[in-house]
Amino acid sequence: MSTPVPSSPDMAEQHPGEKAGLPDGQPPAGTSWWSGRSGLLLSLVMVAFSTYLLIGILTMEVGEDTDFPGPKFFPGILMVAGYVLAALLALHYVRSPEHPTETSAQRYRTFTDWSAVLWAAGGFLLFALTLEKLGWIIAAALLFWCVARGFGSRRPLFDVSFALLFSSAIYLAFAIGLGLNLPSGILGGGF
Amino acid sequence: MDSLNMLMEGFSSALTPMNLLWVLVGCLLGTAVGVLPGLGSSMAVALLLPITFALDPTAAFIMFAGVYFGGMFGDSTMAILMNTPGQASAIASTFEGHKMAKDGRAPQALATAAIGAFIGGMVASVLVVFLAPALADFSANFGPAEFFALALFAFVATSSVVSDSAVKGLAALVIGLGIATVGIDPFSGAERFSFGAPEMFDGISLITVTVAILALGEVFHIASRIRRDRTDQRIRSAGRPFLSRAEIKEAAPAWARGTAIGLPFGVIPAGGSEIPTFISYDVERRIDRRRRNPKFGKGAIRGLAAPEAAGNATTGTAMGALLALGLPVSATAAIMLAAFQQYGLQPGPLLFDRSPDLVWALLASFFIAMVVLLIINLPFAGLWSKLLLIPAPYLYAGITVFCGLGVYATSGAVFDLLMLLGLGMVGFLMRRHGMPLAPLMIGVVLGPLAETSMRDALLSSNGDYSVFFDGPIPLVLYALLFIVLAFTVRSKVVNRTRQDV
Repeated sequence: MSTPVPSSPDMAEQHPGEKAGLPDGQPPAGTSWWSGRSGLLLSLVMVAFSTYLLIGILTMEVGEDTDFPGPKFFPGILMVAGYVLAALLALHYVRSPEHPTETSAQRYRTFTDWSAVLWAAGGFLLFALTLEKLGWIIAAALLFWCVARGFGSRRPLFDVSFALLFSSAIYLAFAIGLGLNLPSGILGGGF
Repeated sequence: MDSLNMLMEGFSSALTPMNLLWVLVGCLLGTAVGVLPGLGSSMAVALLLPITFALDPTAAFIMFAGVYFGGMFGDSTMAILMNTPGQASAIASTFEGHKMAKDGRAPQALATAAIGAFIGGMVASVLVVFLAPALADFSANFGPAEFFALALFAFVATSSVVSDSAVKGLAALVIGLGIATVGIDPFSGAERFSFGAPEMFDGISLITVTVAILALGEVFHIASRIRRDRTDQRIRSAGRPFLSRAEIKEAAPAWARGTAIGLPFGVIPAGGSEIPTFISYDVERRIDRRRRNPKFGKGAIRGLAAPEAAGNATTGTAMGALLALGLPVSATAAIMLAAFQQYGLQPGPLLFDRSPDLVWALLASFFIAMVVLLIINLPFAGLWSKLLLIPAPYLYAGITVFCGLGVYATSGAVFDLLMLLGLGMVGFLMRRHGMPLAPLMIGVVLGPLAETSMRDALLSSNGDYSVFFDGPIPLVLYALLFIVLAFTVRSKVVNRTRQDV
């Protein structure tokens, strides 16, 4: 019983440029070596995850009398497979970078619009950290506002009122109507 | 006949006014989410998963059935009208369907799709009613070795068949399986990968993973391109949504062939309905080439009818496999399985014995959902496209708030929200770089089953690995797995050579 890894390397080679058959294999002129190789991040994620498993396995406290296969057995297989796949992914991206097709007229430095992603993710972080202090209505409105801004809404003041309306409506429907446990936070005193 | 009686009882419990209301709500919500660009049925189920826990199990699953099928209906509506398939299973419908719509035959295309989906789903549901109990009986003698073979089959088939790169599929699978090992080990009581954090003793909640990977990750992914991608032209849909007699005659054989192709795929854990939709599209194209005046490329009704029927036929039998074997074949089915587990129910052979009322009510609700969907989709497809008028920033802001709401409502902990954000970023990276999500979901859901059955088998054999090849069922499963893999490699090679032409 081997792990299913061996069948993979030859398949990876078939991948480049296969997506939808578009001529996206050519790198735009004048770009650095890193262009088209941002997929190496996936490799990094795999290494990080496998290392997390490795540290967990090394520090795990297991009783003396545990029979084979113990609690480390299955994660151990996953950890090894994770490192192998990370290496294969890295090899794949080094050998054959994947260039996504730019559909907009303008050329950008990165394919991903990081400012939009950061507005959305940052808004969510803020929401998670302030939810229990500020309460659902304000924190969720903040989240709504940040995501809407990240998605390109250009009416900040209107958005503030709309976001508050939206989060209050949810609070009414789910916390008061269905009895879900949502924090009322600083607005809680009155209700 | 026993099945029929049970089904009738199922109908009587599903047809209560409250349950009918849940079917209707599920169908409406599913269609609504499916219609929205880029969102498919798995997103709909993921967002609704936390909220349905306010309901009793029967009502919740009846609603799920509506959402699941509704998402597929709504998805193909948009694939046809706007060329924006929300899930891979709707891609095959865009080829001819969108051409029909551009030709001014949008209503007919929508009707073809709706009827095709109805036929496929109905035939599949009938089949499930009669075969699922037998399948459940058969799988009742499964031991650890059999279950391990089954899980391995699902893992390898989903991660290698669905993705165009097996390495990416397997990497996603390993992350999913790894996430499933977090928490206290049920065998030895050892604390695994929690590093002393009490929030992780119970493992990482399936709801958090589901919402993060399928919903929040998608929001980030759309955010990353929405201000840069050009907007698609919209197509007006008006006129009669009914097919003429000639059109029905033209589409009928395609519906039948699509259904026949789709049915077996529900039981093969190969990632859901993406593959059968493409196969049936391809079959129709080959048949079309031999006709006197080929219609493909000009909006052929058959090129739309077949994949729609195939897609829903697969979805239908997939539910059968889920109920009888506890085997999810797609990301959406994996979420359904997670939902069962949240209620303390384990789909599989014993479910039919332990909670027959729930199973049969659920099966009956498939039929009801199909009829409801046909009613709300056939005449009102044009109305659904009005949903596109919601401005994108507010739509996605609302979805994000719902992600937070769902996870916080079920866990009540900020820790889970941070976990949601972290996994959401992983989901975004996976989407951005073409890493399939289904293997991760299936890994998380089936991981515990795979690990327990593997360790059970090895414990009982004192560490002798030959236990995995003991008995005919595992051997048959491994042989099938080998055939599936051989076919995958072959079709990939063929596709590659064809693209060069």
